[in-house]
Amino acid sequence: MAAENIVTIRNLTKLYRQGEIDVTALNNVSLDIAAAEFLALMGPSGSGKSTLLHIIAGVDRPTSGECRVQDVDVTRLNESQLADWRNQNVGFIFQTFNLIPVLTAAENVELPLLLTQLNRSQRRKQVATALELVGLSDRAHHLPRQLSGGQEQRVAIARALVTDPKLIVADEPTGNLDSHSAQEVLGVLQSLRQDAGKTIIMVTHDPKAAAFGTRQIHLEKGELS
Amino acid sequence: MTISTFIIKNALRNKRRAFLSVSSVAASLFLLVTLQVALRELTQPPESSGAELRVAVRNKISLTNPLPARQRGIIEKIPGVEGVTPFTWFGGKYKGEEGMSFAQFAVDPKALGTVFSDAKMDAAGYKNFNEQKDSCVLGKITAEKYGLKVGDRFVLDSTVYPGSLTFRVAGIYSGTPDDRNMLFRQDYLDDSLGVPGQVGMWWLKVKSADDMPRVTAAVNQAFENTSAEVRAESERAFQLGFLAMLGNIKALVASISTVVVFTLVLVTASTMSMAVRERFRELAILKALGFRRRELFAFILAESFGLSVVGAAIGIGVAYCAYTFGDIGKMTHGIFVTFEVTPRIIGFSALVAALLGIVSAIAPSLAVARMSVVNGLKTLD
Ligand SMILES: Nc1ncnc2c1ncn2[C@@H]1O[C@H](COP(=O)(O)OP(=O)(O)OP(=O)(O)O)[C@@H](O)[C@H]1O
Ligand SMILES: [Mg+2]
Repeated sequence: MAAENIVTIRNLTKLYRQGEIDVTALNNVSLDIAAAEFLALMGPSGSGKSTLLHIIAGVDRPTSGECRVQDVDVTRLNESQLADWRNQNVGFIFQTFNLIPVLTAAENVELPLLLTQLNRSQRRKQVATALELVGLSDRAHHLPRQLSGGQEQRVAIARALVTDPKLIVADEPTGNLDSHSAQEVLGVLQSLRQDAGKTIIMVTHDPKAAAFGTRQIHLEKGELS
Repeated sequence: MTISTFIIKNALRNKRRAFLSVSSVAASLFLLVTLQVALRELTQPPESSGAELRVAVRNKISLTNPLPARQRGIIEKIPGVEGVTPFTWFGGKYKGEEGMSFAQFAVDPKALGTVFSDAKMDAAGYKNFNEQKDSCVLGKITAEKYGLKVGDRFVLDSTVYPGSLTFRVAGIYSGTPDDRNMLFRQDYLDDSLGVPGQVGMWWLKVKSADDMPRVTAAVNQAFENTSAEVRAESERAFQLGFLAMLGNIKALVASISTVVVFTLVLVTASTMSMAVRERFRELAILKALGFRRRELFAFILAESFGLSVVGAAIGIGVAYCAYTFGDIGKMTHGIFVTFEVTPRIIGFSALVAALLGIVSAIAPSLAVARMSVVNGLKTLD
């Protein structure tokens, strides 16, 4: 295993309080993820996969425990620090593609860059690079509804890439795709790891998708097995 | 793409809704401007020049009670009084017409030029009026309306006195804020239908504004404890007295305005809430991408502000053009004359629109502030 860990998780617990009962979404999870790993996170529904992913990506907070990403303890950042941190360090890919329907592919990809200091032509260049990486240069000016599901998801990957984050998290990125489109998307993710050295954490139900990863881990009732 | 193109694309995303909400803001602001202008005109009627030197004297009991003509000699002797004329309501209807479309008053032709100096008329007009007992002078608007020229005759049926009178047009005046009245001779009225020795009220002209308080006091005092006590007051005060009767209209207009604004707030606030509600998931995505609360607030605020400002610009603009370039006198059959959209009214309405934009952004902003990315993502589209 590579010496450099990009994600270090220690004793992470997440409880949801529902009236009188506590629901344990994550129970004392510890995990290390190395740089340039493609981790497939598997497990039955309700096992806490999304919860873990959200905490790593800095959109949710644990009840207790520690989650360091590149030496930053994300659990200790405040709301607005966390927002900046996400913008610069994490690329997010969701199950439903979640593109803004009124923006073209290129504009959707450009969104995270609006928060940076880059000027218009620098932004345009980075958008073009990102779209090229996912093989959609020719679709830059199409609206989401003019794209297939697989293409939409690749646009979403380009959007996750465009700020050049080290870490990319994907929550069931192929869950809504037919197998052919899923293959395309997974291929893109794989090449991101191989060619660009990105670290990828992907939640999936699908063993075939998980096979694209360099490592597979399983969650069961909030615990790693 | 820039932040502003993003905001504009978002605002126009649902074109029909954007159109409807802009239209409702526009219509409401049009209405608001109209109400403000009407209110202003009702409470601050256009002042004629010379108003500051004019005094109205009426029966203390009420305006409809007559005054004895013999008061005139006493009034004329009060120092500071430059001219006096009776002013008696005739209540005539133009032949064949149902209602009264202009007012007629009996006056003293010799005092006309002094007391109502703002009514401009050629010398021949004054001469005719002085020489011919059955003559009258007509405001330009009325003369034009009926196509009456100097020398023409017409008949008015009085609703006050039994019968009708024939008048000859001696001259046509203009220059008052509302050139519509018809003035004829008190002696003609006295000789035909009227009650000799009785007039409706007096109008006086004082020599200088400094004389005004003293003269009004002296007139009031002169007829104290007589059978016809009077109330003398400046033209302005007299008009305001009239307006006291409009008090409830004022309250009515004010409450309608409030309802308009209130409704408008509800409409735009619910439009914005809907607009944000249906993009909740997208806003959660934006949050996940690193947009902070304050940026999302700015988006929402810009959008709601934009919608209300565009709507307001249209509504206020249309009102301004309609009332500035349209003939409001004709449109309202003479109820309103100037109907001026003042900068103050424009400013007030624009302020209402701006506040509207801010207020309607509050609820959606709070909802977005409370939203966590995780919960936002769970919202169904
Ligand atoms: N807001 C919440 N309130 C209460 N319980 C919650 C909440 N969110 C998640 N949970 C619970 O936490 C547990 C883990 O949920 P999570 O969404 O992480 O599961 P998952 O592994 O992603 O499932 P799936 O494969 O269905 O997406 C579940 O038991 C779920 O019911
Ligand atoms: Mg999940």
